[in-house]
Amino acid sequence: MALLSELKEMVIYGNMAGIEEKTKECLKQGLQPSQLISEALIPAMDTVGEKYKNGEIFVPEMLVAAKSMQLSMGILKPLIAAGDLKTAGTVLIGTVQGDLHDIGKNLVAMMLEGAGFQVVDLGTDVAPEVFVDKVREINPDILGMSALLTTTVPQMGVVVEALKKAGLRENVKVVVGGAAVTPEYAIQIGADGYCPDATGAVDWARQVVQK
Amino acid sequence: MGITGGITGGSYRPLDRDQIEQIHAATLHVLENTGVEMNNPEALDILESAGARVDRETNRVYLPKQLVEKSIGSAPSEVLLAGREEKNDLLLSGRRVHLGTGGTALNVLDLDNVRRPSTLDDCRNTARLVDALDNIHFFVLPVYPNELPKEEVDVNRFYSAIQNTTKHIMGGVYTVEGIRRVIRIAEKIAGGPEKLRKRPFISMITCIMSPLKFDATYTELMLEVARQGIPLATPPCPLAGATGPVTLAGTLVQQNAEALAGIVLTQQVNPGTPVLYSAVPTTVDIRSMDFLFGCVELGLMNAAISQVAQYYNLPIYSTSGVSDSKVPDVQSGYEKATTAMLCALAGSNYVHDCAGLIERGMTVSYAQYVIDNEINGMVMRAVRGIEINTDTLAVEIINRVGPGGNYMAEDHTLKYMRSEFFFPQVADRQSYHRWKEQGARDGWQRATELAKKILATHKPVPVPEEIERELAVEFPELRI
Repeated sequence: MALLSELKEMVIYGNMAGIEEKTKECLKQGLQPSQLISEALIPAMDTVGEKYKNGEIFVPEMLVAAKSMQLSMGILKPLIAAGDLKTAGTVLIGTVQGDLHDIGKNLVAMMLEGAGFQVVDLGTDVAPEVFVDKVREINPDILGMSALLTTTVPQMGVVVEALKKAGLRENVKVVVGGAAVTPEYAIQIGADGYCPDATGAVDWARQVVQK
Repeated sequence: MGITGGITGGSYRPLDRDQIEQIHAATLHVLENTGVEMNNPEALDILESAGARVDRETNRVYLPKQLVEKSIGSAPSEVLLAGREEKNDLLLSGRRVHLGTGGTALNVLDLDNVRRPSTLDDCRNTARLVDALDNIHFFVLPVYPNELPKEEVDVNRFYSAIQNTTKHIMGGVYTVEGIRRVIRIAEKIAGGPEKLRKRPFISMITCIMSPLKFDATYTELMLEVARQGIPLATPPCPLAGATGPVTLAGTLVQQNAEALAGIVLTQQVNPGTPVLYSAVPTTVDIRSMDFLFGCVELGLMNAAISQVAQYYNLPIYSTSGVSDSKVPDVQSGYEKATTAMLCALAGSNYVHDCAGLIERGMTVSYAQYVIDNEINGMVMRAVRGIEINTDTLAVEIINRVGPGGNYMAEDHTLKYMRSEFFFPQVADRQSYHRWKEQGARDGWQRATELAKKILATHKPVPVPEEIERELAVEFPELRI
């Protein structure tokens, strides 16, 4: 279908200026919102992910693609009954207390959204009790924590302990990342995973929700 | 992703105008009062009738200022070294920078990490490898085919390269008959003698012996190439502390005298013939008298002598990007990068030896070509400099993003991200974790794999079949 492939192309090439108009046009032609998501937006981001892995495109191009997808989603979401919105899964994400670095965390969040996950971003300098409360509230599939500084990394262990205390640890998969984090540390604090970069995070999240 | 040659450099100026003029004045003094030894009667005759004073007993020829200046004037200030494909053309002039291979090594360090005598197959394979490496802009024949008899070397060295790269091919030559046959082959491929002179895709190297000596054989070869009107380099190789004065300034004076003597002779043989101001100034390790090719002084002197050639408005053949290390390692990396950077930033036109060579020029390494392609790419990026205009200054974008934001998904980023940065192929820029996951390989190992991949897949533009058939008949010594 020509319109669907046009919409898909607009995501792949990050056409932020034109994608909202195109989304509306698709709807006007009688296409269903859920169909646009599953047959254009998600496959587009899969293509973008492939191109990135092959070195054809760079992170900025991937981000613009993800932003374009979000613009389209902004129109489609209100049209879908809450229960019918199919997502790959829900991810709660944040930078731990004492740490204000967020570029890497934002990148991971955008990539996950691009891959079809619903992402709730708590921002930076997030206290352990804030993580715990939010896990209780939205019951995400995955909790992702990031830290850049060696001094703030131990906060990740604090959050995992707090989840245990609150009886929530078994409800959520915990994944950690950031420049100062190592796979060994992830094991040591009892996290479920470690990801070295944003594409790794998407791959890991997909595997976890499929299980 | 390659950065093509011909970008204008010249931001690095180790000499000021007054110092260049002092070197020039000192050089004229040497040429007029010390002169050069010319062990070739025909060359002596030519120079004597051009106004030089000649001592037949010592074969000494003294070159007066007027003759030197007249010869500088008749030598072209712009030389085209063509490629068999036009996209590989090099126009040597001003401060335009090109980087390429050098020779002649007698050994190769192959892709199984074995050091062995070089063969005709290595002549072919190095050409094919370089054909695929964008930041190596020309191909100076790098190795000697040890298994061939001397009289078959010239034609086979050149033809093995012609078959495997469309980049410009320059090479040292060994016999007058060889020169004639190589030129004849090139004429057939170019479509005739005139077409070859118009777009010379081959050129030749005949050496001058430092200090200040033209030997019998090389000079005979030099005269032949000059008469033929084929582009020519006439490099001397003064070694500061051994075959040149220990001071870098003194070696530059002698280097300049030798290079200008080459210009004078070739211009008197054939006025206007495309000759390059040629320079291989380097040093010895004064502690042991070991010849050096990776010393920082080589980069410094080749940068300085490039300025001298620019002062004469003559295109220069210079030397950098070579190493004394025996393997592609840390030493080869820093020696090559340092000297190549200095020489290229000075705006040198034709920086040879700037890929593949290790072990003081005695060996070429296949992996090293891939590494040097990357060093050269970084060097050319530095030569290109920083573009300043309203759009690149980005005031509007800085304002829009504001404090605490980021530029990752700005249109401005997408517009410039492929042109602002050099993208390496060998360097590993990933996290420790990823690097370990992928086998924890070092640069040498990664370069080896890239070289293997290129040699397994790259197909250069061939010589047309019918021409090759004719060549096989006319030149039975060709190993096609």
